[in-house]
Amino acid sequence: MIRCLLFFSIIISLLTTSCSTRIISTNYYQERKGTVDSIESRYEKLNATKPFAIAFTDKRLNIISFEMISDTLTRIYEFNINEKRLFDTLKKYNYNTPGIYYLIRKMQETKVTWINSVDYYVNDQPQQLIYLSIKPVTIRYLFSPPKYIALGYFRTAQAFDEKGRLLDSRRTKKIRKIKGQTFYRISDRICYTTTEKYR
Amino acid sequence: MNLRHKSILSLFLVSFFCIEKNFASDLLSKINSTKEEALAFLEKIDQTKENDLWPNVKPKLFYDNLKLNLENPMSFYPGRSTNFCAYGAISYLVMQKDPLGYVKFMNELYDKGGATFNQNKFKPSKAIMQAAGTLQFKGVLDIRHAEQMWFLVLSDKFKGYLNFFNKKYQEGDENTFWAATNLSKFNRMVSKMCGVKVKAVGSDLIKPWVKDTYSYLQKRIDSNIVSLYINNRIIHKKNHDKIKFSIPTHFIILRQIRKENNMITLRYWDYGGETEMQITPRTFKKIIFGIITITK
Repeated sequence: MIRCLLFFSIIISLLTTSCSTRIISTNYYQERKGTVDSIESRYEKLNATKPFAIAFTDKRLNIISFEMISDTLTRIYEFNINEKRLFDTLKKYNYNTPGIYYLIRKMQETKVTWINSVDYYVNDQPQQLIYLSIKPVTIRYLFSPPKYIALGYFRTAQAFDEKGRLLDSRRTKKIRKIKGQTFYRISDRICYTTTEKYR
Repeated sequence: MNLRHKSILSLFLVSFFCIEKNFASDLLSKINSTKEEALAFLEKIDQTKENDLWPNVKPKLFYDNLKLNLENPMSFYPGRSTNFCAYGAISYLVMQKDPLGYVKFMNELYDKGGATFNQNKFKPSKAIMQAAGTLQFKGVLDIRHAEQMWFLVLSDKFKGYLNFFNKKYQEGDENTFWAATNLSKFNRMVSKMCGVKVKAVGSDLIKPWVKDTYSYLQKRIDSNIVSLYINNRIIHKKNHDKIKFSIPTHFIILRQIRKENNMITLRYWDYGGETEMQITPRTFKKIIFGIITITK
């Protein structure tokens, strides 16, 4: 009995500790750079006129949680992307319906699961960052957590250390964490991380 | 019974303890003040004074923030990725009840490094005083130095079993169990800070024992302030896994509830503003772990 328990505990610990999820592609962003960057720039334009955020909440990327953000109220509604209710709602709240449908389609094709605008402050002045997550193809073992690639698009050039980690500012060596994660340099204003949560 | 069994049993006892509980009001329920009184008090204060006790708090950001809290009490923002949501809900209640008490308390806390609010003495640790004004990447909380101070001080003062292993603040603890709040701790905080009658159903693990949650809420929402302890991970999914731990993670103030076309629409206050959300009755049943009714 003790031997049996020991055997199972070894199997479980092997499955949970040594087999973490692996992202197949090591160069995910570069392979899809054009599409991902165009999703970001399209979102930036649409969001500037009427703020919103989109998350795909199911594995097959058919259901979205759409956040309509205003100064006084945020509406969070869930839709199947083929549902007429989505069209009616976008129209009712004066969103750019064709633009948002195009964005949703592009997000679905590229497996972008979440896109959002995040505000932060430098020297007490407001700044903006566009945050998007991608669901890559992974090798996943039993009990291992999911993995997503998160990208941060800053408006201005950022500071990074010699290991490519995002810093708070040029003057400090303090690592800036976004949602508790260290981000790494892709370019002066784009950085990435791998994370277990897509938002 | 070994140690592991004892700890599991005690966790269950703690959570069952608040299945239905009334937190008696005390004499403080008579304390009330208005926004106008609070603004008049704020006008008379020298708002430029710096204080070495709070080395990172900027006086302008501090007093501008207090003014904003009075002008727009719904603007309290507990910050992105923090565990301050329960303190946000407390702020909402405090501002309904005693805005003058709030600004007096904050001003005294800033001046002397310690103050009393409704007979609750606050003497924050040095680490808290150093941290106030330094929280970054939390959205607009970055520049709200009074709110940073308020949330940190509340977290430092009130402790529940979730804080057992992390009671002393260290940098970044606003995102950890140091700031977490369970249902019983929340009820205790509301009762002590606002001096109001609190009735709670539900627990940290088991959902409220009420026949029809929708009707239960509808009956109470007009004549009381209703706060909900919910599992936010179901409605704000963070990954695509189907199996999720069924535990509550978030406190909100319910403002409206209605049902149409077999969908329930909740309008609630949480992060500096109102959110309206449509959910199915099934999801509605799944997310609610605690209903806290507070006498207006």
